[in-house]
Amino acid sequence: MKALWRRPEALLGLVLVLSAVLTALLAPWIAPYDPLAVDLARKLMSPSAEHWMGTDQTGRDIFSRIVWGARPSLTVGILAVTIGALGGIAIGLTAGYARGLWEQISMRAMDGLAAIPMLIWAIAVVGIVGVGPVTIGSWSLPNESKVILLVGLLYIPPLARVTYGGALAESRADYVSARRMQGAGRMAIMFGDVLPNCLSPVIVQATLLVAVGIVVEASLSFVGLGVEPPNPSWGGMLSDARKYIFSGEWWTYVFPGLAISLSVIGFNLLGDALREILDPRRAAGISVVA
Amino acid sequence: MWAIGGRIAGSVAVLLVVSIVLFVLVHTIPVSPARVVLGIDASEADIAEFDRDHGLDRPLWEQYLKWIGGVVRGDFGKSIIDDTAISRQIADTFPVTFELVLLAFLFALVVAIPLGVLSALHEGRAIDHLARIISVVGVSIPGFWLGLILIAWGGVKLGWFPAGGYVPWRAGAFEHLRSLALPAIALGLYYVAIISRMTRSSVADVLLADHVRVSRAMGIPQRRIMIYVLKNAMAPVVTVAAMSFGYMFGWALIIEQVFNIAGMSRALLSAIFRRDYLMIENVVLVITAVFLAANLVADLLYHWLDPRLSK
Repeated sequence: MKALWRRPEALLGLVLVLSAVLTALLAPWIAPYDPLAVDLARKLMSPSAEHWMGTDQTGRDIFSRIVWGARPSLTVGILAVTIGALGGIAIGLTAGYARGLWEQISMRAMDGLAAIPMLIWAIAVVGIVGVGPVTIGSWSLPNESKVILLVGLLYIPPLARVTYGGALAESRADYVSARRMQGAGRMAIMFGDVLPNCLSPVIVQATLLVAVGIVVEASLSFVGLGVEPPNPSWGGMLSDARKYIFSGEWWTYVFPGLAISLSVIGFNLLGDALREILDPRRAAGISVVA
Repeated sequence: MWAIGGRIAGSVAVLLVVSIVLFVLVHTIPVSPARVVLGIDASEADIAEFDRDHGLDRPLWEQYLKWIGGVVRGDFGKSIIDDTAISRQIADTFPVTFELVLLAFLFALVVAIPLGVLSALHEGRAIDHLARIISVVGVSIPGFWLGLILIAWGGVKLGWFPAGGYVPWRAGAFEHLRSLALPAIALGLYYVAIISRMTRSSVADVLLADHVRVSRAMGIPQRRIMIYVLKNAMAPVVTVAAMSFGYMFGWALIIEQVFNIAGMSRALLSAIFRRDYLMIENVVLVITAVFLAANLVADLLYHWLDPRLSK
């Protein structure tokens, strides 16, 4: 934590991430207007004291929509990474510690899964299954849950690989043999000793993958396969704003794009800073290409 | 030689598994293609006849073999919605997307590699800070938003570029390239950031190596030393670049939507909204194949450039 304070970039990243998360959590209290309230008499108004970021083509308050739009973006980013991290840690840890046949099978499976291009498959899966809420019994999940599931699945291989690399190195360490001789069980050694020591690169990777997830959600909403209108989403707002590029209503497309970029910059800066602090040996290289 | 053969076989195997997953996904959706085409009012008999005509009543494995057998021969079958040949649609749209990706890729390389090398050589100086800012901002601006901003600025305000649309080659090379300039920049900036960062860290690593210090001590001219450094530093850069090429195809689809370019995104998204499942299946298979090929090339280049790893 202390190391974070000494780096201005890290601090900026932390501030941006916290503001995005707090905006999403506190949306009902932050947004001054109902994000769905249409007011045709006040459509396409430029930013003013009343509407800080202006209004859109149906007179909805853009600031309020951006505040609410933080929810689907961060939900997709964070939940997808959670799925990826749970799966990736479980597979990487067991493959790196137990070795043998399971190691071969699981790591080959990870190679195969990593061969699937994320964005196109997210588009295709939503396209094939169809846009619409997912109903399980009396539960109704929004359309984005399909995106979360698929992106989460495809996040497993990169997170499994970094965990595997760490687990492989750690399980050969002397302290692990010492623990084994003390009579500690497999599970206790794996989760109690090996895991904490190979978690650093996983945390770094996970932070950077949240950023990718936010962009994937925005891109899908932009082409009409993510958050369903009229619900607010940053990508959906940009899609609505496309025709105003020609007529000069700049606030319709500048602010939603800034919201995406600032939250993504936040997670990227935080991820970079965490890598420099937690994993200095690999500080400069990159790990996330998408 | 065997290693290369093994890698190629591995990629083909993955592609086969992917094709099965895709096929199963498309053929187990609750809405049957016959319903999409014939409408809700169609009788069971009509549906059965439609399925018989299109071979949809055959067992799944038989349908799969027929499909994949055709794909191997370059025949993707016919659209169920309007009976047009899917191969034709792909042949019309794939080159457009491919060219956009190629231009964006060249833009990324031409900007990123000099930027990365210069920032490694002048660590902590202005150019290094600039490169650092570009690498953080570049990975954080979504390409489709950058595209919108570029249209607003370069297309509408300055009027230097068309505000969207695709001008084919036969209308003149200049107009053609002008229509693809902004989309290529919007698609390429992310990869400028990724590749320049990789170049910087790789060159900086090699500069610290013993053989560079020895060469300096021996008085070998800086220019000669730099040639060795660049040669040694290129392996990870080339790998990341080749992988980027594969990823670019996915994002190109979104960029095409922004700039209204009739590439594969048009084929895919119109297929999605028309529920033309066979079209979706084939477009996704083609793009996955390109992605796999790019990853394979990345892998092979890496082992070729850095033979230590092959052992």
